[in-house]
Amino acid sequence: MSQDDNNNLGVDLGEFIDFYLLDSQEQIEKLGAGLLQLEKEGGNIGLINDLFRSAHSLKGASGTMGFTPIVALTHAAEDLLDHLRQGKMDVSLEMIDTLLAVTDRVKAMLAQVEQRQEITIEFEDLASSMRGILKGDKPVKEEMIQTSETETEDLVEFVPVDFALTPSESEKVIDAQSLGRGVYQVHVKLGPNTLMKAVRAVMATQRVEGMGAVIKLLPSLEDLEVGDAEEFFMLVLCDEPREELRKELLEISELEDVFVHPYQNVIEIVETNLEESAAEIPVAEIGIEPKVIPSVGAEENVIKPIVTQKTTLEPKGIAKAPGTPMAETANGEGNTQVHTIRVDTARMDNLINLVGEMVITRTRLVQIGLDLKAQYSTDGMVNSLNEANVYLGRLMNDLQESVMRLRMVAIGTVFNRFPRLVRDLAKKTGKEIDLVLKGEDTELDKTVVEVIGDPLMHLIRNSVDHGIESPEDRRAAGKPELGTITLNAYHEGNHIAILISDDGGGLDLDKIRQIAISKGLIGEREELSERDIANLIFLPGFSTADVVTDISGRGVGMDVVKKALNNLGGMVDITTRKGKGSTFTIRLPLTLAIIQALLVEVGQEIYAVPLSSVLETLLVNREDIKTVGGLPMVQLRGNTLPLISLQEKFDLPKPETESSEVYVVVVGFGDKALGLIVDELRGQQEVVIKSLGEFLNNLPGIAGATILGDGKVTLILDIGSLIQDVLVTRKA
Amino acid sequence: MAEEQLVTFSLGSEEFGVDIMRVQEIIRIPPITRVPKSANYIEGVINLRGNVIPVISLRTRFGMTRVEETDLSRIVVLQVQTKVFGVRVDAVTEVLRLDSEAIEPPPPIALGMDSQFIRGVGKIGERLLILLDLDHIMGGETSHDVSA
Repeated sequence: MSQDDNNNLGVDLGEFIDFYLLDSQEQIEKLGAGLLQLEKEGGNIGLINDLFRSAHSLKGASGTMGFTPIVALTHAAEDLLDHLRQGKMDVSLEMIDTLLAVTDRVKAMLAQVEQRQEITIEFEDLASSMRGILKGDKPVKEEMIQTSETETEDLVEFVPVDFALTPSESEKVIDAQSLGRGVYQVHVKLGPNTLMKAVRAVMATQRVEGMGAVIKLLPSLEDLEVGDAEEFFMLVLCDEPREELRKELLEISELEDVFVHPYQNVIEIVETNLEESAAEIPVAEIGIEPKVIPSVGAEENVIKPIVTQKTTLEPKGIAKAPGTPMAETANGEGNTQVHTIRVDTARMDNLINLVGEMVITRTRLVQIGLDLKAQYSTDGMVNSLNEANVYLGRLMNDLQESVMRLRMVAIGTVFNRFPRLVRDLAKKTGKEIDLVLKGEDTELDKTVVEVIGDPLMHLIRNSVDHGIESPEDRRAAGKPELGTITLNAYHEGNHIAILISDDGGGLDLDKIRQIAISKGLIGEREELSERDIANLIFLPGFSTADVVTDISGRGVGMDVVKKALNNLGGMVDITTRKGKGSTFTIRLPLTLAIIQALLVEVGQEIYAVPLSSVLETLLVNREDIKTVGGLPMVQLRGNTLPLISLQEKFDLPKPETESSEVYVVVVGFGDKALGLIVDELRGQQEVVIKSLGEFLNNLPGIAGATILGDGKVTLILDIGSLIQDVLVTRKA
Repeated sequence: MAEEQLVTFSLGSEEFGVDIMRVQEIIRIPPITRVPKSANYIEGVINLRGNVIPVISLRTRFGMTRVEETDLSRIVVLQVQTKVFGVRVDAVTEVLRLDSEAIEPPPPIALGMDSQFIRGVGKIGERLLILLDLDHIMGGETSHDVSA
């Protein structure tokens, strides 16, 4: 009957899987973080409500997609949280542990869903242990809902909706009515946080199709998908009694309520609508705009049916809890979400690539402008071209900055997974540890955020395992039993600094020295500063752990951490004080895509040195370069600065004549400095970093390539690895 | 019955063929940027419309002597799986079809070069065409490099 409607309703649930995953993963993260907070703060009703909501929407979404194991788990968790919320139970450690285990399990299940596999992970054990915790409580909840439902049924008046039927549709309605078939207006209310509204509508439509036909859906599927609608209406032709229809629809998860009313003729409705008081809001609008329910008091006078139903039906603690401001904050959160959109990273990367190409082209334009000026310096057109170039340059800078900012993500997204890690590790090792997070809002490039997690995790594991002492040792040392690990992030010029500090025992420098000597990493008589000794632990093949535990020391040494950070153009450094603790400082570039670079000439070649690591440039007389142990050095303000010749380092052909003076580019990372001997400085320029591809990955001293204004490829030096190279070869 | 379409090119007096489906384009030699510390057969990298791609000297890869660039020198840009790279050749000769029955497995001692790069030998009348196995051209079986 409703062939034409079927076309746009035939949505495959599979299309929603990605969407589902994205949201569910977010909810499960929220749940995990909230549980940890709950453990710390105890029964905070607002927090419990949040947790309940997360569990609830997770359950609902999973039910829609048909992932029964997830539903079973989240359902039990929801029950548990519900009891907490109603004050029937107190927060217990056992409960938190179990719920955290649920989040882990669900995460694993979601991973299977992501792989498009069947969920095979066991869930009954956890579900039953949650029921075990619940045992002893009376099932009051069921009754309550029962009564509220019957109340609301009567309270809701029939509010006719203008379905804006086409002539052929209204004809169908009139035909059916004249034949004595049932025509119903079905009003479906969704929970306020229902995800994937369009899916509910599709499911509702499918259910109805089994009993009759859906003539019209309002708002349309498209609007439901993007909008904030909390309800939708269906015009249904159906021969079954209205109660049957309602029951059938209520089986869909997360429909808050369904009202079925006989539908009056179209024309009649319009008339009744007009007759009714002008103050009444046209109900059809409600579905599309979320403007309803701003403040409870005001709306009570205007749209009676909906409000009465809302207050009576809502079994949630929010409305009853004395702390009404809490309900408002919940609403506020909902609003802020509207200001963000999700964009496919591939699209964004494409945009960034395009901007990168534009930057290259602009440099080229500038070059042409300058060449023209050299040739026709008096020509007015050339001058205007150059002016336009300058303006274009400013615009490009702004554009580039805006685009780069699109990719900036708060580091909190990485930090947030560590409280759980520290908690679990602390339990396992029998230590008491508090993890303090600071500077979570510090933003850095998405690409950096994606890869920084693992090295950070390793350092934190290390701090828990080797840094913080056992409670007994701490007491003996006169320190509080509760150890603290602080994770801090802040901007530092063009870099971001991430600090992982613990108030543990500090590194055992003597032991490190001994091991380094026994492994031949340093000479027996070598004079090293404390910091140098501490940094020895980053050398490959170094592990101080006497016992290999399963937390750290799994053979993945600190050198791996260092290497991972170096690959990102970053550095890691340690400061440690015996008995007071250690601090690992990581410095990373903010972005990996476009950088300022100093172009230098070595023989025929041009190389780009990232400006962020250039400290200064010097003009040095060849006579002032002394060799110490076969390696060139130069005196700089009383300090010796080690030098490397790029020409030798890169095996470039030796020039036929040597000039008496050379340029030295002083580069530094952290507190280490090195001078690069080059032939000429070519000025600074913005360059877009391009990968050299799989074939040429991991070349020592080369971070990537870029294309200059003349179209030629230029290599970008990897200062971190150059410095490391020099220091390592000199140590050996 | 089965037929292969090949792009053929020359290095010195020898003729080689690669599957036409692997050939993305053929370009003149642009400025090549040397890449220090890379394998000896990597000539460097070039800018291919905004992408940086590596270029291999097939002469070095096959242990032949280097020659100066001529008017005929070309870079054949190849795509193997997702990787794009160029091979520098003395000249691109033609595009031809070869019956698969005319292809023989590589001889054990192949023409003074390592047989791991050779997929087979095609015969066109008196001409011998060496068909290259592109999967092995990049990638470093260095033990063979020494013997090559």
